[in-house]
Amino acid sequence: MITGQKFVEGKGTYVDDINLPGMLYMAIVRSPYSRAKIASLKGGLNSSDYEGRMASVGEGGSGEINIYSEPVFAQGYTSYLGQPVAAVFGEDRYKAEDLLNSVDVEYEPLKPVMEIDAALKADPIHPGTKNNILIDKWVGKEFKDTSSPIVLEDSFYNRRVATNPMEPRGVVATYDGNRLTMWASSQSSQSIKEGLVEAMNLSPDSVRVIQADTGGGFGLKGGLHPEYVIAAHAAMKYKRPVKWIETRSEHLSSSNPGRGARADIKIFAGKNGIINGVTGEVYVDAGAYGGFGEFAPRFIAYQLTGPYAIPNGYVRAIATLTNKVPQGPYRGAGRPEASYFIERMVDLLADELKMDPADVRIANMSSEPFKSPLGLEIGAAKPFFQDALKEFEYGKRFTSDTAGLGFFVLVPGIGPGEGARIKIEKGRVKVWLGGDTAGQGHQEFVRTLIREELGIASDLVELQLGDTDAVKRGVGAWGSRSAITAGAAVIAASGKIKDMVIKDFGDYSPENALSGSYDIDHFEEMKGTLNSFGANIAVADVSPLGAIRVKDCWSYYDVGRVLSKESVWGQIMGGIVQGIGQVVSEEIAYSDEGELLTGSIADSGVLSADQVPNFVVKVAENRSDLPHGVKGLGEAPTIGVPSALVRSIEKVTGKRIRDTPVRPEDIAEDF
Amino acid sequence: MGKIKVRVKINGKERSDEVEPRMLLAHYLRDVVGATGTHIGCDTSNCGACTVVMDGKAVKSCTVLVGQANGREIKTVEGLSQNGKLSKIQKAFLDKHGLQCGYCTSGMLMASYWLLKKNKKPTEEEIRRNLSGNLCRCTGYQNIVEAVKYASELIEKEGEEEEVVVESQ
Amino acid sequence: MNGIIYVIFIVSAMTITPSVFEYYTPSTMVEAVNLLEKYGDEAKLLAGGQSLIPLMKMRFASISHVIDISRIEEMDYIKEDSNRLSIGALTTVDELGSSVTIKNRYMIIKEAADQIADPLVRNMGTVGGNISHGDPANDLPAVMLSLDATFMVQGKNGGKEIKAEDFFVDSLITALEPNEILYEIRVPKMVKRQGGAYIKHKKSAGDFSVAAVASNIIVDGDGKIIKVGVALTSVGPTPIKSTRAEGILAGKKLTEELAAEAARSITEESDPVSDFYGSIDYKKKVLRFIIKESLVAAYKRAKEAQ
Repeated sequence: MITGQKFVEGKGTYVDDINLPGMLYMAIVRSPYSRAKIASLKGGLNSSDYEGRMASVGEGGSGEINIYSEPVFAQGYTSYLGQPVAAVFGEDRYKAEDLLNSVDVEYEPLKPVMEIDAALKADPIHPGTKNNILIDKWVGKEFKDTSSPIVLEDSFYNRRVATNPMEPRGVVATYDGNRLTMWASSQSSQSIKEGLVEAMNLSPDSVRVIQADTGGGFGLKGGLHPEYVIAAHAAMKYKRPVKWIETRSEHLSSSNPGRGARADIKIFAGKNGIINGVTGEVYVDAGAYGGFGEFAPRFIAYQLTGPYAIPNGYVRAIATLTNKVPQGPYRGAGRPEASYFIERMVDLLADELKMDPADVRIANMSSEPFKSPLGLEIGAAKPFFQDALKEFEYGKRFTSDTAGLGFFVLVPGIGPGEGARIKIEKGRVKVWLGGDTAGQGHQEFVRTLIREELGIASDLVELQLGDTDAVKRGVGAWGSRSAITAGAAVIAASGKIKDMVIKDFGDYSPENALSGSYDIDHFEEMKGTLNSFGANIAVADVSPLGAIRVKDCWSYYDVGRVLSKESVWGQIMGGIVQGIGQVVSEEIAYSDEGELLTGSIADSGVLSADQVPNFVVKVAENRSDLPHGVKGLGEAPTIGVPSALVRSIEKVTGKRIRDTPVRPEDIAEDF
Repeated sequence: MGKIKVRVKINGKERSDEVEPRMLLAHYLRDVVGATGTHIGCDTSNCGACTVVMDGKAVKSCTVLVGQANGREIKTVEGLSQNGKLSKIQKAFLDKHGLQCGYCTSGMLMASYWLLKKNKKPTEEEIRRNLSGNLCRCTGYQNIVEAVKYASELIEKEGEEEEVVVESQ
Repeated sequence: MNGIIYVIFIVSAMTITPSVFEYYTPSTMVEAVNLLEKYGDEAKLLAGGQSLIPLMKMRFASISHVIDISRIEEMDYIKEDSNRLSIGALTTVDELGSSVTIKNRYMIIKEAADQIADPLVRNMGTVGGNISHGDPANDLPAVMLSLDATFMVQGKNGGKEIKAEDFFVDSLITALEPNEILYEIRVPKMVKRQGGAYIKHKKSAGDFSVAAVASNIIVDGDGKIIKVGVALTSVGPTPIKSTRAEGILAGKKLTEELAAEAARSITEESDPVSDFYGSIDYKKKVLRFIIKESLVAAYKRAKEAQ
């Protein structure tokens, strides 16, 4: 059951609140170096006990294990600071940490490869491989443009950002001799199960993953992590339950951060502002192993024309291996990067032509649906954007001399659909979804849909936490997909229940439904796209020393039909602060020697209440063709805010901004 | 190494325990007392998820040794509602949607509870400043600030908690 | 407070529980000094714990004896008499910032106190801890240097005084002997026409200042500077008391130009390092800016002070 009431009473059950008899606490010995040879290793559970590798599951996951898959324990050498080397187990968390000293590791530090450019030149970080290129593909179609009078080039970098949910990762694993049960802080119990099955070579029937109340995810908690496999292995080996709760410092060194994408972009345009083509390279810093990094560069490249009708596009998508923790999805997961890169180029073009940035954008918009040469399908952008300018009172309330505009297309992850189970029993309705809520408000849209589809009052409907035994098939809560896909599954399952009620009673009424017992587990297959538009406008104040203060931030997003106003507004306002954070402070940084410079949640740049303004949130409710009319939402603000805010900083300081976060010293006045 | 005896009053109830002196108040509350509403979100006294009120002042219980709490009165999130009735600050967080994942909520509530005890009508700026030691990754803070304002209005209209509890008894 | 965390993470400690220690709660200063005497380097004083506990959680320092002095009576006070302001070492930072005496007459102290860490940490953290931790990123040391404060210390052989300018030896090292306790901070009483300001420049998020500066100025009836104390936070291994400020500013009225000139000169006394908070050049730019700002604010307050 998921309600706000239990949280304000302190009665949630997060994974660290789960205690089983005989439970061991796990602590991990981690590499203190970004790259080192392990000269000797004694003590704890380590690669001599468990040699397996990780399976790539969750958003953008291939499901595969390949030569670039991360070993669960470092094997012979370490490839990132914080990599698990060994695990120890104590009767409580204090004793587990006491035991960290019992593991003897001798490291021979090696020179780490810390940046994309260095990775391209350096010898391979993994023996037996040819180079540090994880993937290298072209997206789109080659074109020659010799006639465009304006050719602009620039380079941008979105540095790495920690996902930083307030609740760090954690699991409790237990094994009864036949079945492994794992409670997890999760966005997808289904993916974690799939990952355990693949990585540990277990039969699907022998693994159950149950979601605990989950204190935020933002992409991180949709996949498998080495510590989960270690805890599962230890529970099976020691025949005792094992708990692992991540510390924040472990989170900052060893959990998959997002962004870490660079681009060199070239656009060809006419003097009227119309862009004829875009080309360039997108580089993703995948970190030390494969996984999301294999997917990210192509996904960014695919979206590089943004909401614009650009007729030519040819983009090289590269992911490089570096001695950093593997990159993962973070709220937006490729979408904010693509939007940032193209929006920065559009602003550059506006400056080059001395046009208003709004006008350049309009010049590149279609009033018809458009399919880009990179494969991206969008609807008619122009009418929405013109509405957005009206909502912002652009030209009056905001002008281009201080305000930054951002316009984007949100590409929700729809395929292959989602699962939902509805069970009516004793006059109450329980619902399970294939993806796990981590605070986004799934309970609210589920209640709305059940009320509409089955006529059942919301207080009788309770969303349950994720459980792989409760729902046969599911995907996960990421990619702005839950209201779309899980919502569609709830509607389809409701339809089946209605049919059964009619069969039983001759007609449907909520009373009839509630007086019976029904149990429908349905996977709604979905494919195709359901892309939507959004716009932001932001105004920043910059002090002479380069301190950025956001004065105004307005949003106007097409969210389709609103199923729960509180949830929609909550998602937008929370996402805005993450978008601001990426620009003004958020970063996971290392020195050239591979030392972690951002070891506290404060240093990693999470903003506090006194550092952000109030926001103005507006939405367009343009219904989609789905029965419930919804569109994507959750990632909209992290896509739209950074480019708008960066533009404002650029206007206010007069300095071209290329990278995030913006460093104060780069924009401080000269004196 | 020796254990120490601590005697504390938690949410109005006295108790005493023998514990290792190295135990942090947050772990004492969670693992010994079983009051798991107090959360831990960082290791560096930044996030405030572990905020409790000790002798009338909001503190970060992950940065207090259990011995420091000896002889003191602790209020945790579990102690906010009285006789099954939500306190005003809890009600305000629910009504104003001041939470999403719920993880920072206990700390936000306790910091807000302390703020409203010392300042019944805080301005928006005072609310934001007073919550600057409590991080939230979900809400963007706006609804949390609204919730504190609303709780302040409720208190102005209906009086403080203790009075309500007395009336309801 | 929390001053050293940044440095430590580079060696990548990732624990969140302290290692085992013995815990003592002396009720008198003599008892506390005896315990310090007995356990020497293995012992550490704990007042509010807001600097020490984070270090212990990371198991950075091996501390096997923790002497919790917070139960010692009568070390928690703010008193002003005809000569001085006396602050008990156990006064919390929140009490310091909320004190009417401080607010009315020692704005420089209030400005610093209100900017230390966050409100919850200030409820536990103590003035004595903030100073005796010896962290160059802590705020009160520079304030006390600018005010020519004196630190009252209790040791095995009785009490002694240490001038603020003699107190800060190196990063995390003070003039306190292992068996000594700082129990009171004495600040010369504010005189007529005295004013001070503390300006702290921080990144958008994060614990530490890029740099901060305390300026304390006394003027005569004509607005000429009689006395000036300037001290810097976060820009060297210790807080830094300017030795140049007096020479540049004494006997003059402060103008924008003079403040800028003084700021340029005082900045040369700093010794910042390049790190995640900024390059050396940037930190010096910050200093030039905030030193000037703080001098101007302190001067204005001095002229307006009764």
